[in-house]
Amino acid sequence: MKKILTFFLLLLSWQAFTQVTGVVVDETDMPMIGANILIQGTSKGTTTDVDGKFSIQAAPSDSLVFDYIGYKTEKRWVGNQSLFHVKMMPDVLVISDVVVMGYSSKTKTEISSAVAVLNNEELNDVMANDVGSLLQGKVSGVQVLESSGEPGSGAEIRIRGISTIKPGNAEPLFVVDGIIGGTFDPNDVESITVLKDAGATGMYGARANKGVIVVTTKKAKSEKVAFEFRSSYGYNTPDHGNIQMMSSQEFYDDFSAELYRDKETHEIDKIKFYLDYPQGLKSKNWGLVDRVFKPAPLQKYYLAASGKSKKFGYYVSGTYYDEVGTFRNTGNKKINVRVNTDLQLTSRVNLRNNINISSSKGTSYDYLDMYYSYLGVPWDNPFNADGTPKYVDGHTQNWWSRDHINPLHSIDNSDYSYKGIDVNYDLVLGVRLNSWLKFTTSNRMNFATDKNHRFVSKVAAGTFHDKGFVSESSNMYYGVTSTNLFRLEQKFGQHNLDGLIGGEFDRSYWEGLNLEGKGIPEGFSVPEVASSEFKIGGGHDKSIFRSFISQANYNFDHTYFLTASYRIDASSNFPANSRVAHFPSISASWILNKMSFLEDNKTINSLKLRGSFGVTGDPEIGASRFLGLYALNTQYSNRPAATPYQLANPNLTWERTNQYNLGIDVGLYKDRIDLQFDFYNNVTKDLLILASQPLSQGFEYRWENSGQVTNRGFEIGLSTMNVKRKHLTWSTTFNIAKNNNELAGFDAPIFTTLSGISQVYRNGGEIYTFMLPKWLGVDTETGAPQWEKIERNANGDIISRSVTNNYTEAAPQEVGSALPKFSGGLSSNLTYRGVTLFANMAYQYGNKIYNFTRVFMDNDGHEPYYNNMKPKSDWKRWERPGDVATHPSMQNNALSKEPSSRYLEDGSFIKIRTINLSYKLPNRWASRLKLQDITIGLSGNNLFTFTQFWGQDPEVTLVSQNWSMPGVSDFKYPNNKRYMFNLNLKF
Amino acid sequence: MKNTLFLIFVVAIFFSACSDLDVLPNDQLTTGSISIASDGIINVTNGNYALFKDGAEFNGIVDDNNCYLRQYFQMIDFAGDDIVCGQKTEDPLYYSFTYTHSASQSNSRFFWYVSYKITNGANTIIEFLEAKSSLTDDEKQLLGENYFLRAFVNFNLVRFYGKGYNNGDPSSNLGVILRRASGEDGQKARATVQEVYDVVLEDALHAADLMNQSRGKEYASKEAAWALLSRVYLFMEDYTNTIKYADKVINSGRFTLETSETYPSYFANALSSNETIWAIAFSASDNRGKFGSIASMIYSNGNSGWGEEFATYGYINLLQEHPQDVRASYIDTVFADDGTIQKKNGLEMFFITKFSFQDGDPNLSSPVLFRLAEMYLNRAEAYAHQNNETDALKNINEIRKNRGLADAQINSVPAGKTLLQVVLEERRLELAFEGHRFYDLIRNKKEINRTYWGYHIVGLTIGDINLSTQPSGADNLVIDWDDPRVLYYIPIDEIIANKLCVQN
Repeated sequence: MKKILTFFLLLLSWQAFTQVTGVVVDETDMPMIGANILIQGTSKGTTTDVDGKFSIQAAPSDSLVFDYIGYKTEKRWVGNQSLFHVKMMPDVLVISDVVVMGYSSKTKTEISSAVAVLNNEELNDVMANDVGSLLQGKVSGVQVLESSGEPGSGAEIRIRGISTIKPGNAEPLFVVDGIIGGTFDPNDVESITVLKDAGATGMYGARANKGVIVVTTKKAKSEKVAFEFRSSYGYNTPDHGNIQMMSSQEFYDDFSAELYRDKETHEIDKIKFYLDYPQGLKSKNWGLVDRVFKPAPLQKYYLAASGKSKKFGYYVSGTYYDEVGTFRNTGNKKINVRVNTDLQLTSRVNLRNNINISSSKGTSYDYLDMYYSYLGVPWDNPFNADGTPKYVDGHTQNWWSRDHINPLHSIDNSDYSYKGIDVNYDLVLGVRLNSWLKFTTSNRMNFATDKNHRFVSKVAAGTFHDKGFVSESSNMYYGVTSTNLFRLEQKFGQHNLDGLIGGEFDRSYWEGLNLEGKGIPEGFSVPEVASSEFKIGGGHDKSIFRSFISQANYNFDHTYFLTASYRIDASSNFPANSRVAHFPSISASWILNKMSFLEDNKTINSLKLRGSFGVTGDPEIGASRFLGLYALNTQYSNRPAATPYQLANPNLTWERTNQYNLGIDVGLYKDRIDLQFDFYNNVTKDLLILASQPLSQGFEYRWENSGQVTNRGFEIGLSTMNVKRKHLTWSTTFNIAKNNNELAGFDAPIFTTLSGISQVYRNGGEIYTFMLPKWLGVDTETGAPQWEKIERNANGDIISRSVTNNYTEAAPQEVGSALPKFSGGLSSNLTYRGVTLFANMAYQYGNKIYNFTRVFMDNDGHEPYYNNMKPKSDWKRWERPGDVATHPSMQNNALSKEPSSRYLEDGSFIKIRTINLSYKLPNRWASRLKLQDITIGLSGNNLFTFTQFWGQDPEVTLVSQNWSMPGVSDFKYPNNKRYMFNLNLKF
Repeated sequence: MKNTLFLIFVVAIFFSACSDLDVLPNDQLTTGSISIASDGIINVTNGNYALFKDGAEFNGIVDDNNCYLRQYFQMIDFAGDDIVCGQKTEDPLYYSFTYTHSASQSNSRFFWYVSYKITNGANTIIEFLEAKSSLTDDEKQLLGENYFLRAFVNFNLVRFYGKGYNNGDPSSNLGVILRRASGEDGQKARATVQEVYDVVLEDALHAADLMNQSRGKEYASKEAAWALLSRVYLFMEDYTNTIKYADKVINSGRFTLETSETYPSYFANALSSNETIWAIAFSASDNRGKFGSIASMIYSNGNSGWGEEFATYGYINLLQEHPQDVRASYIDTVFADDGTIQKKNGLEMFFITKFSFQDGDPNLSSPVLFRLAEMYLNRAEAYAHQNNETDALKNINEIRKNRGLADAQINSVPAGKTLLQVVLEERRLELAFEGHRFYDLIRNKKEINRTYWGYHIVGLTIGDINLSTQPSGADNLVIDWDDPRVLYYIPIDEIIANKLCVQN
């Protein structure tokens, strides 16, 4: 019996271990490498080899489950069959869930860190040529500011507050098609992933402190050759915000007359006033603003073709963009061409070639022309009898405006043009080495050059009159980035493990040349014709990075996820002993809806908890900041001269941030409601600061690592599908982010000052905090300006506050920060049959703006020959004793426009960014024209801004550099209100 | 699999291995390479001169407004009574007119900063050359020039930021911080006025000994060091030495006064003039234009400058006592179409052209820091204090003879005037706008009287101006010679970063 039993068992087992072989192919019949095969109900399995082949021992009663990321799972019953040919089809739903994270891609479920994804449709609702504008208000924790309306200018992007106080760039790192850096046109974007926490950005180590934006460009989706054409045409009108300059009459009666108010009688001394200011002036209405700024056309065209075969896929596109500026003689044109191809060379080797060429040219402007256009007195007729702009200089009689300049004439006799071209070539070669190992080498060559031309004709008034001036500068940037990675993937039953390891190097070079000369004959503008006062300049620079990269991802049963990465960077910016830095990161998540207690829950259909920790860095201070230097940047009597330039700091090293993030993702009612909540705490240490030195050493600063800044906050993103019917859908998304910023660890407060306006960085304080004398309004008895005087004891504690008329007694104090308390956006998308109405809004609250333009255009008579702005409804100028006024008497205005909190205003705003109405024509109409889709639409951008800020647009720069201080509203190129007609075709 | 993994790891390390990450700048000398480069010492010395004319980067920007010499002339003469403010301005030069100084005004901060940058550059060269066992003649000259530059900037610093040598006790009054070594600790207290003057004298004397070459008017020379000594001793009321070093310069035979015929073109051609002892060379490419030239505030041809400040009636009236005085050629009166003097903001426009017209350019000049005429006038002032009327007037007449006043010699002190007054009037006429008048008054303990219409009167509006009357009642119309505000505040940057430095 025992023997019989043994025999049967043998027989059974013989049956059970039938050798089953086969091949797995994809939808194009290409072998699929690394597909998982599992015997259902067991942990027994295998993967396909490089030819897509597999073999496995299975019993006839078994079922084989074929599994591959991004493809629908296939199931085959073994039965008598021993040779299988399995064709797998892509899972469209799953593909849309793939999130490109830079070095790797993951499904949404797999992600353990704080990321936000925007696809093409979500981006291109705004007509813009800059990706920043497309992001405004759409991603929680991402603050976007369009700080200039100049054609071709980009928006400022800040992710999770500000983590650095050094001057310069605080923009996030861009990664295009998996490689650091790169250029693209917004139309070519398939998706954008914003990486917000170190769990995701840790992979970018040294350069990830300011967050990372991963851009993926389009590729062919189907075998059918597809064409897409998009066109937009419309107008920009200048948006001067709340600035309206006074008319001739207003300037005469409400401003100039006040200069003559008698100190004793408090009445206007009309006899003297009319003598100095003839009454006829009132009727001379030559307001400059509407003559310099005009509505201007804007157009954009995009054409793309894509398609793919078994071995070859392509996406080719071209974009043409032409924006005429609202400010006289400005504009920008761009052409962008992209060619993306994918080649399957052999079953093991694939090759991707992406080429992007973007070129632009345009004309910029001179700051002073903008300045004088606002401030010119409206009594001055800027035209000759024949309608041409009038030449005006210091000798011109009967010209009222200060400095005797006619901006119309200056603009027409000068040229500030620029052009540039940027070429990126990506070569990505992937080699499948075996079923669990793949090698990829991603390489980008980048070459860019630009040229700036500044020309002032000899006929223009001003400093170059009778001489003319030309300067040209040209820059060449080139570099190579090469990333070489092994990618591993293994599966042990329910344990899934994958990862990557490799290295990267990045070299970038700059070479610049500039020259200028004077003595230009009339009618010419090239440097060749200059005859005097030549200057040349130029230089070379380079920067080198070397990095080691590794990452491991593990998950158990697609329920518990763990990702760890380790990056080592070395940068040429730092001395040998401190140039290497280590950047570990770890993140984990838990899919709770897979737990039994939630499996059948009708309300909650998905629930995920996430947590991450990691270290990121910031090396961006430029080369050689650690050396003691004497700059050979000048001459004396035409001989070379070197001046003390920099104090040495042999220990200089990176800024680094420890980032913590906790998040929860909830999907309710079959994902009709989608909620994301994140809490983060980012501590940036060893801040690279320009530490103040006693000036008596002959140096202002030394680069040092000191202090820390903590950004702590939360973000909420809420997407809801409010109505979902057959012909009617309505969805909204809302986001809000709150960030607290706190400085610590400084030996002494650091002050920055520009135009007398100061900001302070001190322990316990916030970045970009204004430090100004506090304005206390106007003395009701005398009309004099008043400030707060503070007295302190020996410890620096305040012992008294009082009112003073003496500006020099009013010590500066902290009066608010340029950073918002919270910011976010709201958008709504309503579709009925083919009609879609989309609206998007962005807001921020609680930031202060220093309204620097008011210093000139609300000047209390300090500048009698500048036009002034129309006052806000609650402004009142003091006229006589007893007046409760906001503005001092012009006769008693000493130092009233010196920096103080008087000009510091609430910068909160709500802005309707976009209203977009589109209609997708019924298919039968389209097909009659042999087209697939026709969509027509109207859109408006920046139509409404709600703010108390009484200046230009409240989107004010947060860049800390050279001429700009964060939160200071200086004369800027006004933003635009934009009205567009759009036509999109697919065929 | 183990082997494969090991191999992968090795290859990954290879890909990320450090290559040459040492990047050196290609437009800068490093501290170590100054002494190695064949012309490193000459380059840094040239740099010390260049800092007088350049707009060095400050607060992260190169601001056209910032230039050592622009601040030097403006911060002295705008506080005096030769130039009236014709327009309120954002430029901190305004605070010199109004005496509303602060520790944070950027012109003063820049002036202080660049002074010490020159000192730092000079110290670097001095330390390097003093460490050598023997010096060539060329090296001795360069060493002397660096001692001279250090003395010159220290003397200017102590006048801007310290009380006058004859105001109170110089051995207890605070002067400025003395930096005599390039690498010393940043924390350092201010030396006394006496200590600063001692070091200035020591450096200048040493410089005079070392310099034996004449490299051109744009470089320091033995005679420039003597001229500095004459000026310093005058401030110290050491009249014997004032005369001694002025004599040395005058008797060196290297210099002659411009004549009545040539004087009107002197300042446009200062570098090639025999009257110049030392001037800072501005070449065509150093033209700082409307936004940064010294001329642009006090002169405009309608386009070239802001032209916002004018000569005062006090100066114009003195000049008009003798219509033949060729010094009037540096005043350019602006007339309106109707033939009256043109007004700007209610004030009559008298432009000043001492800093214009090198190569015909309205904004270009090579500012003169020492010239022969001053030596005569230093002697005159010293003799006046010694009550030596004959020699004082002799020196004055030597100047007048060459300024169109050969027929208006002063042979005796006119009734109602003192000898010192006569000397100071001649100094005012001759040296106006060159950074002297303000200190002539203070040094001689005379008030600065600015009772005239102008925007130095804080809060003045055009409606207030009535040229037929004198202003009254405003603050700061008359400034005492020992007013605390005749010196500037120590810049805020120094106070914050240097705990040992005490504010004025």
